[in-house]
Amino acid sequence: MDKKRLEQLMLTVQKPGRYSGGEINQVVKDKAAVDVRFAFCFPDTYEIGMSHLGMKILYSLFNERDDIWCERVFAPWIDFEKVMRDNDIPLFALESRDPINLFDFVGFTLQYELSYTNILSMLDLAKIPLKSCDRSDADPIVVAGGPCACNAEPLADFIDIFFLGEGEKVDLEVIDLYKECKKNGFSRKDFLQKAAQINGVYVPSLYDVVYNDDNTIKHFVPLDGAPAVVEKRIELDLDKAYYPDRFVVPYIEAVHDRAVQEVFRGCIRGCRFCQAGYIYRPVREKSAATVNQQAKALCVNTGYDEISLSSLSTSDYTHLEEMLDDMLCWTEDMRVSLSLPSLRIDNFSEELLQKINRLRKSGLTFAPEAGTQRLRDVINKNITEEDILSSCRTAFKNGYFSVKLYFMMGLPTETDEDIVGIADLAQKIVDLYYSLPEKPKGKSVNVSISVANFVPKPHTPFQFEPQITMDEMMRRQMLLKDSIKSKKITFNYHENKTSFLEGVFARGDRRLGGVIAAAYKKGCRFDGWDECFNLDAWLEAFDECAITPEFYANRTRSFEEITPWDHLDYRVTKDFLIRENMTAHNGLTTPNCREKCAGCGANSYGEGVCFEKR
Amino acid sequence: MKNVRLFYKKGDRMRFISHLDMTRFMARIIRRADLPVWYTEGFNPHLYMTFALPLSLGMSSEYDVVDIRLLDDGYDISTLCGSLNAVCPPYIKFFDAKDPVKKAGDVCFAEFKIIFDDMGEAKAELESFLSSNNITVLKKTKKGIIKEIEVSDKIINFSFDTSDTNTVLNITLPAGSVENLNPELILTAFFEQNGSYYCYDITRTAIFDKDKKLFK
Repeated sequence: MDKKRLEQLMLTVQKPGRYSGGEINQVVKDKAAVDVRFAFCFPDTYEIGMSHLGMKILYSLFNERDDIWCERVFAPWIDFEKVMRDNDIPLFALESRDPINLFDFVGFTLQYELSYTNILSMLDLAKIPLKSCDRSDADPIVVAGGPCACNAEPLADFIDIFFLGEGEKVDLEVIDLYKECKKNGFSRKDFLQKAAQINGVYVPSLYDVVYNDDNTIKHFVPLDGAPAVVEKRIELDLDKAYYPDRFVVPYIEAVHDRAVQEVFRGCIRGCRFCQAGYIYRPVREKSAATVNQQAKALCVNTGYDEISLSSLSTSDYTHLEEMLDDMLCWTEDMRVSLSLPSLRIDNFSEELLQKINRLRKSGLTFAPEAGTQRLRDVINKNITEEDILSSCRTAFKNGYFSVKLYFMMGLPTETDEDIVGIADLAQKIVDLYYSLPEKPKGKSVNVSISVANFVPKPHTPFQFEPQITMDEMMRRQMLLKDSIKSKKITFNYHENKTSFLEGVFARGDRRLGGVIAAAYKKGCRFDGWDECFNLDAWLEAFDECAITPEFYANRTRSFEEITPWDHLDYRVTKDFLIRENMTAHNGLTTPNCREKCAGCGANSYGEGVCFEKR
Repeated sequence: MKNVRLFYKKGDRMRFISHLDMTRFMARIIRRADLPVWYTEGFNPHLYMTFALPLSLGMSSEYDVVDIRLLDDGYDISTLCGSLNAVCPPYIKFFDAKDPVKKAGDVCFAEFKIIFDDMGEAKAELESFLSSNNITVLKKTKKGIIKEIEVSDKIINFSFDTSDTNTVLNITLPAGSVENLNPELILTAFFEQNGSYYCYDITRTAIFDKDKKLFK
């Protein structure tokens, strides 16, 4: 398609800036001068994908190499998808606008389960055969990584290679192998077999799955020399790990439109519902000097006037105060505003608040996750009601009057008392505000509670637990709604249908591949978007494939059952997960990594928090 | 402190962004170029910038104007275009930096060049449409109400460029804070009446003051 016609068509849809490319810091190379072209695909809209840090890291890392040209691809929104289909426009990369089926690699990042149909939609628009087994030597190699790769099975039909863990090293090793194979007469089969020998690479087509009569998995059979267990890869020394000194700066506003500085990976806390808290172990920190130097370079090279720090729990950063002393100076000089997300309640000190008080005041956000102490102990959210109230007291005295609280519903062992506890806690915060003589003058308090539905995730101590049914979610939501008495409390809750589907795919096996394909054919895509999600179409797809979704979402798994992710080793042992599950049911907590090693297995890397001097 | 007027052209991949996107972009490249600019002194300080005339999404421009305020009166403004172009994508080019002559609000007219895909017969029909004294367009007011307005007397002038194999229309219309007429409204009205549709590209070629002199 010629440029003029394409651009005229772009002008017929919403936000054509999603498809234009040409932003500050995009990388353009001479395609004749590179050996490998990589289409980095984010299976959601431009605004969401451009907010994602992992993509920025790998985009720059790949493009540092002269022999690789990495370009960006996002899922076209439904209006432009229709235009593309009607006019036979193949899915193109933003930089070159070349169709991505001409590329060597098409790589997807798997951030959430509800983006799976978008992967099919993008492959289809790119005219790449949907199923791995239907691809020829001339088709691109379809790879995928990211958190959802930790249970890769539902996508096993569609993805040639999964990268487990952090991609900085393993991705390049696979690209190098590809270059090598290209030299000697390329065969897809041969390449995949060789790739499977690289640490961190999972090639699902090289495994047969045998099932029991009750539909659980009997065992995985590795084929053609593939390893029985695939381990995740991580960067051991984050001060030496690659970090980009520039981001592509979108023209249209992305969801997170600012510089993002990573401060550490992993989390010491071990909240039992949190997948990120387990799959990114062990905690590895950057030094304060590295953080400041990298953050400053980003601000200089992007022109952003806002930077945020990224980690799973920023107040657990051991160099936080040292780092902030420096950062607050240069950000003020550069007129950059700094935001600190992911602060925990229990170590939210007065000094820290004094420091961020120099910054622009936004709301305060806390995540107690559960309404009663009993349930917080079950999920190992080691904070007390007194922690929450004292943090709020500090915040109110410092001029804050708006508090946002995040909770989950449907947690293991949860009772109605725990649900009502959420409303009680919010009420106590409201009452606390009005009891304080030092509260901000003339302002009314606003406590907003957002309640997500708990979805049991692989590689967590709750991977064995059933998800509650949609009806039960609804009942508990209404119970909470009725328990809220104050107008100062705002209550937001999640769509139950999407949580259910997320629950199915989070712990699904490769038999779900047929369901994803069937749902896609029925028009399902952008399932994470309420305006697009169609549960009825999904239920029909399950029905056609003779699969019961409740088998995956609502069933209790025994500790002995072989899960679809047992052969993917994230270096947190199953024994540990079982131990933690039992501790949870006994209502007991586990100390965080810095207090006492819980013996999860992540110390096998020989680096990180497990070896910090204390 | 002094105000400086920057002149630039933009198009190609930068046609697809709105005016709001453009203001964010401009602030970022000024920061990237590390220019010594003045920030407002309110509760949320921001970089001072005034655009003479916003450009609609989808249009290219050959003559656009933005004012910035430099902290240092002695700053050599001849270096500004080079500094900015060095940190910009290739789809925007700063070509001049001068002391402002007119006030930013003095823009009254704009000239557009509209290139159509082969129009054939319809070219003559468009010509007579534009010459008629009855051109009713539908305009959405700020309150979101769609109003019919008669615009035949608002077209300052128009001409067709015959040297090109495509149909090329040059048209001058009111533009600015007092009165503004987007050429696309006229094209939509024509297509509606004519029962046809031809693809087109619009470039804003110049902006003028009330005396129809180039805005400087």
